Amino acid sequence: MASTLAPQRGAGLGLDTRGQLLRRVMRNRKALVGGVCLLIIALAAIFADVIAVHDPYTQNLRNRLQPPSGEHWLGTDQFGRDMFARIVHGARISLRVGFVSVGLALLVGGTMGLLAGYYGGWLESILMRLVDILLALPSFLLALAIVSTLGPSLTNVMIAVGIAYTPGFARVMRSAVLSVRQLDYVAAAQAAGASDLRIMFRHVVPNALNPMIVHATLALAGSILSAAGLSFLGMGAQPPTPEWGSMLNSARSFIRAAHHVVTYPGLAIMITVLCLNLLGDGLRDALDPRWNR
Amino acid sequence: MSSPGRAPPAAGIGGPVMAQFILKRILVLVPVLLGVSVIVFALLYLTPGDPALLMLGEHAPPEQYRALREKLGLDDPVHIQYLRWLWRAVQLDLGDSIRSSRPVVEEIVERIPGTVELAVLSVLLATFIGIPAGVISATRPNSWLDNIFTVLALGGVSMPVFWQALMLIIIFSVNLGWLPPSGRLGGWEYFVLPVVTLGTSAAASITRMTRATMLEAIHEDYVRTARAKGLDERRVIYRHALRNALLPVVTVIGLEFGNLMAGAVITETIFAWPGIGRLAVDAIRTRDYPVVQGVVMTFALSYVLINLIVDLLYAYLDPRLRVRYH
Repeated sequence: MASTLAPQRGAGLGLDTRGQLLRRVMRNRKALVGGVCLLIIALAAIFADVIAVHDPYTQNLRNRLQPPSGEHWLGTDQFGRDMFARIVHGARISLRVGFVSVGLALLVGGTMGLLAGYYGGWLESILMRLVDILLALPSFLLALAIVSTLGPSLTNVMIAVGIAYTPGFARVMRSAVLSVRQLDYVAAAQAAGASDLRIMFRHVVPNALNPMIVHATLALAGSILSAAGLSFLGMGAQPPTPEWGSMLNSARSFIRAAHHVVTYPGLAIMITVLCLNLLGDGLRDALDPRWNR
Repeated sequence: MSSPGRAPPAAGIGGPVMAQFILKRILVLVPVLLGVSVIVFALLYLTPGDPALLMLGEHAPPEQYRALREKLGLDDPVHIQYLRWLWRAVQLDLGDSIRSSRPVVEEIVERIPGTVELAVLSVLLATFIGIPAGVISATRPNSWLDNIFTVLALGGVSMPVFWQALMLIIIFSVNLGWLPPSGRLGGWEYFVLPVVTLGTSAAASITRMTRATMLEAIHEDYVRTARAKGLDERRVIYRHALRNALLPVVTVIGLEFGNLMAGAVITETIFAWPGIGRLAVDAIRTRDYPVVQGVVMTFALSYVLINLIVDLLYAYLDPRLRVRYH
């Protein structure tokens, strides 16, 4: 049954096949530049132990606050630790925090939006009121409030940021589901006796993927910024963990002596978030028909 | 024509339609605020451990511990505790700060002006930069000016506020010595760095939104018609396209207030600015839970009210929305 219905998928929306979409994404300069940069950062994070010769935790107090040199490419921090090693290892932490919290938000928010959009009625009313309540606080403040309850740690930051980004995913998923629920192929599947679960995952979710991918990419940028902000306030990763926000926080007092201790971790956050924003913008241009008019 | 260049005579402004719209919009807020109050109440009670012990510390004398438990009503069922807390909160009694023993409401009211002046000045700066930059970008697409504004705006939304603040301190306080690095002791010079930090990051979002909506508006039928009538290009852009393009920008400016609140928490902490944001961080660090609850409730209330104002303004500016809602 599904095979006869599949070709109709998205026909009413004027959507392209996966191959056409991929070509459109690859042709988009912003998506390409953002994607390649992100890939480089991800590879650096994966191979951090190979790329960075120095250990990110080893202190050398006689060598503290040294400017960039051949030995220490980005200088040393207030404890004489190699900044390059700490920043490369920091990429691992920031990307992990971003992916875990967005994954959590995607799973919970996506399910909420899917159920609300597909079933409607009282379930939709309850779920969407819950979303409204969570949206009554800006996401960073919501995350801050949650971390203040759970206590400062990197795991709690991931949970808090994940919850804070959940309502956004619920809204995007619900509106995407609403736009495809009324289409012929869904009605046909229902008439053919397909179960709700099958219709949701075979026919509704695949057509809601594009806006979700775009939202997830931009949310990844936001979640990395939020997590770094929480760590900067001392609510996230704790020293000596080489997390970018936490590194900035502990280096703050030394900006008069050596500004490189705050310049490079911040630059690392900005470049990562910039890549994700570029990729998100590019994907939106390529995947969202409203931006292609 | 998909949308008129000038809003048609707004039927019912100030009349029953608008009044009904406002009433409906306010009624929607009641369950949302009740929900927020549950979350805020839960902040203290979901904290692992005994709230009274958390507030007093492990080594508190038993009689003090018992007195606080009684004062907080911790032996009552949770729903009774919540209703009591809500009833007091409605009467503007959010308890006393553990740190200062002063009423939480007093502490918050004292800090509100600091945050409001920072937020208002930052939004003004952001609007004055963001809207012209977005319009220039959209009216000269792919020009060098458009490319510069686009890159700056993308950089602006990607830059962490706390890093930007530190960079500004390094440049203007440490290296050039032009501006004070923190505090709010007197003149305008204390405002510059915090306002520029918050304002430029908000300006980046406004620039991006203005550019996108202007680009869309410029391609609308009514703009083509205005051009076909032989109107002067400036008149077409500013009287026809911009008026309609500004509607979504109003929402973004409203939302930016929300981001500014979040930004204020960090900015006020870095610049030692006496506002609610810094109060929040200090309260979290010292586990002053009544203050944390009060500040979160204040932030939620102001964010919801700002969104209400934005919605009403939007309905006032776009009569189509009001009619649809009706």
